[in-house]
Amino acid sequence: MNDDAIHIRFDGNGRIYHPGETLSGEYWLEPIDTNEVRAMEISILWHTEGKGDEDISVHEFQRVAVEEQTGEPSACRGRFSTVLPNSPLSYEGQLIKVRWCVRLRVFLRGREIVGQHRFRLGNVPPARIPKP
Amino acid sequence: MTDPDPLLSVDNPFSTRCVKPGAIAYLFPPGEDPAALVERLRRNAWWGQLVGPHGSGKSTLLATLLPMLELAGRRPLCFALHDGQRRLPADPARSSTVDAATIVIVDGYEQLSRWNRWRLKRLCRRRGWGLIVSSHGDAGLPHLMHTTVEIERAAAIVGRLLGAEQGLIGGDEIAQCLARHRGDMREMLMELYDLYEERRRGVMS
Repeated sequence: MNDDAIHIRFDGNGRIYHPGETLSGEYWLEPIDTNEVRAMEISILWHTEGKGDEDISVHEFQRVAVEEQTGEPSACRGRFSTVLPNSPLSYEGQLIKVRWCVRLRVFLRGREIVGQHRFRLGNVPPARIPKP
Repeated sequence: MTDPDPLLSVDNPFSTRCVKPGAIAYLFPPGEDPAALVERLRRNAWWGQLVGPHGSGKSTLLATLLPMLELAGRRPLCFALHDGQRRLPADPARSSTVDAATIVIVDGYEQLSRWNRWRLKRLCRRRGWGLIVSSHGDAGLPHLMHTTVEIERAAAIVGRLLGAEQGLIGGDEIAQCLARHRGDMREMLMELYDLYEERRRGVMS
């Protein structure tokens, strides 16, 4: 799902965050023709993954239209920051996983690209499969 | 952008997100292709049925056909029916998006009651709409394709899903798994999900 032109970096290069902590960072597009960019949507979200129906919820969402940008370089660069909630904590189970990520969707002329960067909320250890 | 933390970077390629209809393209048997199916539909005034057993790829084939139908100027109106749904969840006649190019697509047509099947056919005929259904048995529409799963195609699909990790699950295991589930690809992929979890965690620990 990650497009190579999308770059997301967390401040401090953090991987594990705790409820109530601030997650912040920056995103940029490279290489890309800035004239092609129409809008960008940055979401901080969690989703489930596994064998059954999947669930998704957006914790923070921001849409940036290119008209709001000033100057060529900033058209493809921005920052995000959010206070993380108490739940759901990231979980790596066998049947279901809860995953958090920062996702950037970029609307270009006639197409869109998506990139995401995962992080863990909380430090719940992965489930262990019992040995037979 | 790759994650050094394996808990963040490893996705099970057999999870719902990866195997649901539309996420993977239908792998056509030799001699069949989507363009030929669309042409067959056109000749049948956009009426046709896909027949096949559980887990043989009917829903995946319908999802693969959708963009082709749109390219052909049709306007699909899709319904997916599950256990015990005896009627369509919405009346196509009341939809605001229908026009002469509409094709009603019903995945799981055999779920509808006999009365509702008859009503739907009559509605589509009167409005000049197309009608494509998937069913476990003959639904009385022009035959479009019979879906089956052979070991070669099952192995090819598993190979696509595993990508660079193809060695993780062997060809014999795929064949045995498919046989255990009597050719039901969906059930086979569910079992491979568990096998992948077991092996991946084995590698990680």
